[in-house]
Amino acid sequence: MRYAIPEYILRVDLSKQKIVKEPLPEKLARNFLGGRGINAKILYDELKPGIDPLSPENILVFGVGPATGTLAPASGRYNVSAKSPLTNFFGDANSGGHWAPELRYAGYGHIVFYGRANKPVYLWIDDDKVELRDASHLWGKDTWETEDMLIEELGDPEVKVACIGPAGENLVRFACVINEKSRAAGRTGMGAVMGSKNLKAIAVRGTKGVEVADVEALLNFREEANKLIANDLFYELYSRYGTAGLTTIYNEFGACTAFNSKEAYWENAEKLYGEVFEEKLTVHITACFSCPLHCSRVYKVKSGPYACIGESCEFENIVAYGTRCGNDNLESVAYASTLADKLGIDTISSGAVIAFAMECWEKGLITEKDTGGLDYSWGNTDVIIESLKLIAQRKGFGNLLAEGVKRMSERIKGSEKFAIHIKGMETPAVDPRAVQGYGGLGYAVASRGGDHLRALAALGYSLPKRAKELFGTDKAADRFSTIAKGAVVKFHEEMRAVTDAIEICKYITRTALLLPETIAKLINALTGWEIDKQEVLRIGERIVNLERAFNIREGLTRKDDTQPERMLKEPIPRGPSKGCVVQLEPMLKEYYTLRGWDLETGYPKKEKLVELGLDYVANDLEKLGKLAK
Amino acid sequence: MKGYLHVDLDKCTGCRTCEIVCSLVHTGENNPMRARIYVIRNKFGVEMRPVYCRQCARPPCAENCPTDAIHYDEERAMVLIDYDKCIGCKICVQSCPFGAMKVDPVTGQVIKCDLCGGDPQCVKYCIDHAITFIPIGKQEKVIRSAVSKL
Repeated sequence: MRYAIPEYILRVDLSKQKIVKEPLPEKLARNFLGGRGINAKILYDELKPGIDPLSPENILVFGVGPATGTLAPASGRYNVSAKSPLTNFFGDANSGGHWAPELRYAGYGHIVFYGRANKPVYLWIDDDKVELRDASHLWGKDTWETEDMLIEELGDPEVKVACIGPAGENLVRFACVINEKSRAAGRTGMGAVMGSKNLKAIAVRGTKGVEVADVEALLNFREEANKLIANDLFYELYSRYGTAGLTTIYNEFGACTAFNSKEAYWENAEKLYGEVFEEKLTVHITACFSCPLHCSRVYKVKSGPYACIGESCEFENIVAYGTRCGNDNLESVAYASTLADKLGIDTISSGAVIAFAMECWEKGLITEKDTGGLDYSWGNTDVIIESLKLIAQRKGFGNLLAEGVKRMSERIKGSEKFAIHIKGMETPAVDPRAVQGYGGLGYAVASRGGDHLRALAALGYSLPKRAKELFGTDKAADRFSTIAKGAVVKFHEEMRAVTDAIEICKYITRTALLLPETIAKLINALTGWEIDKQEVLRIGERIVNLERAFNIREGLTRKDDTQPERMLKEPIPRGPSKGCVVQLEPMLKEYYTLRGWDLETGYPKKEKLVELGLDYVANDLEKLGKLAK
Repeated sequence: MKGYLHVDLDKCTGCRTCEIVCSLVHTGENNPMRARIYVIRNKFGVEMRPVYCRQCARPPCAENCPTDAIHYDEERAMVLIDYDKCIGCKICVQSCPFGAMKVDPVTGQVIKCDLCGGDPQCVKYCIDHAITFIPIGKQEKVIRSAVSKL
């Protein structure tokens, strides 16, 4: 008897308007679990290398996992993956809310989209009934209008909608997928891939259940998990302030991206702190499906030019539209955040392109002639908001901003030195110079480019006692030190991959449920497999290596595992982390060695791939001459 | 223990853990459709409202039941369904002013909260204590807190 593993994979050929439902083999789940893991496997196996990510040849996969829709904590997540139009490497984004369980309750684990529809369509999944429907009337609508119209049209308030806004339709390279109006599969431009396929939305209603192997064990696991989470170091912060509370922590660390990373500490950031957000804007604390941490909140600006309502104005948004752009007006940040959700734009990347433009403006590299008269002075709130609208429509200067920082820097002469991206993706809110493992190494090697969530190396700067148990030295938790950071990042990457593959949230596994033995217990309660902690780590390592192989096939080498020049050469000028740069080389060397990747090329070694059961991948890379000797 | 469920609407995050726990302990599967409690979520109306049986002392579901299959048990302070008498007409579903009577999509039977026999599991798993079990005779605190919000 098989438990918890979703029954089916849906294959949807948009060009031929053909839908095929096929069983999801249990063996696939044994090796890759689900979610991000199986998404990666499908893309590696089926996607032709070297294709244009915005062409019909790209493949777009949505995936949920064995934990989805169950009592497992924070089990409301899904991954959407494709080749990224932002990085030209592995693209992947994760989102929460209640959409994923709905898909699971309809019986599906993955939806794979091929080709391109000849006119706008949406996919309607009503349990066993799956059909492509005309979406001409939805094209041009924002994500909120789209969801409201679909729920009205389909006649059931419990229908869950994941869709793109105008940004996705207009192929903005960092357009995202939005579900339930405010949950974003934000990064790597998955919304643009959806737009390129003329796929406006996926609406789902599922009414079936999920059977697990051991009900008693799952109930017990959740009881223990609630205790671990409630006693965790970060519980008070996340549950009370949401991630907005991190603004306080990281600014006080001197690790808060400000003024396009010219600064990492800003006095005025105090006006954006979690405490201020809670007092002024929070109206209700909300949670994703089955989540005890509830880091989400509905916020409201009651009046004035920035009057708005929205949900989940995260730390990342506060930095993106706030400190990164030299803006200390919290209400404008909240407004921009809601606007980005409606337009379907990734907040991190969009904040980063605006901040980059602001530094170009400051240095005189762009003028009113380039911007269509807009004044990109630091902290110009109106121009931040106007930019988002222009980006989504690709109008005027927005057409350049919509290309992302890397492509902008190739066109604006002299701007490369402060173009803050890795592998083409804009880096997130925490300044990597101030947190060597989490940011310095973690961002540099992330398979999806400048990203904190691949590693989310929490023990690289907190909980020294636990770090010592795991890595043999409490220096592992010293954020300024490079010691043991290779091991720290590798371990966390494995665990994050598993978390994304079973589809539970990284914030409860951040530290509270971090350990592989804990996750093994959950997987076993769900599936009855009786795997141990080594096997959990091995599956994580397998997923990381498969994504690596995908990227290597697309041309990635060691030189791509790097940091923006500013992070390597310009010390943080002031604040608690004054003087820091990323000391990448020693960390990268340790990391590659532990990974079994070649120090010169960054290619995996055959033994490593074979050890992970990826023999066929080793053969592929060998044929391409991209296997380490 | 005699008692009833009390929900603090300010504390409910809409996470639906109560729904899954309920379905799991009653049916052995994770399925909100089979849960006896469900949350109506209207996040931008800023309202999360769990719907559940109030264990009415004069239950409209019982009053309208054509076969007297439902009654209020004074000793347990609970509304009980006698499935031997139930003909499955669903008049009770329509009669409940709170929407607390549901139809299990697998068995076809009408279902409602049975307080897990006096130890409601949704309460146990609600980390923020949005749902609490109030023993009858000890309601004073709840009443005081409600009055203080008036």
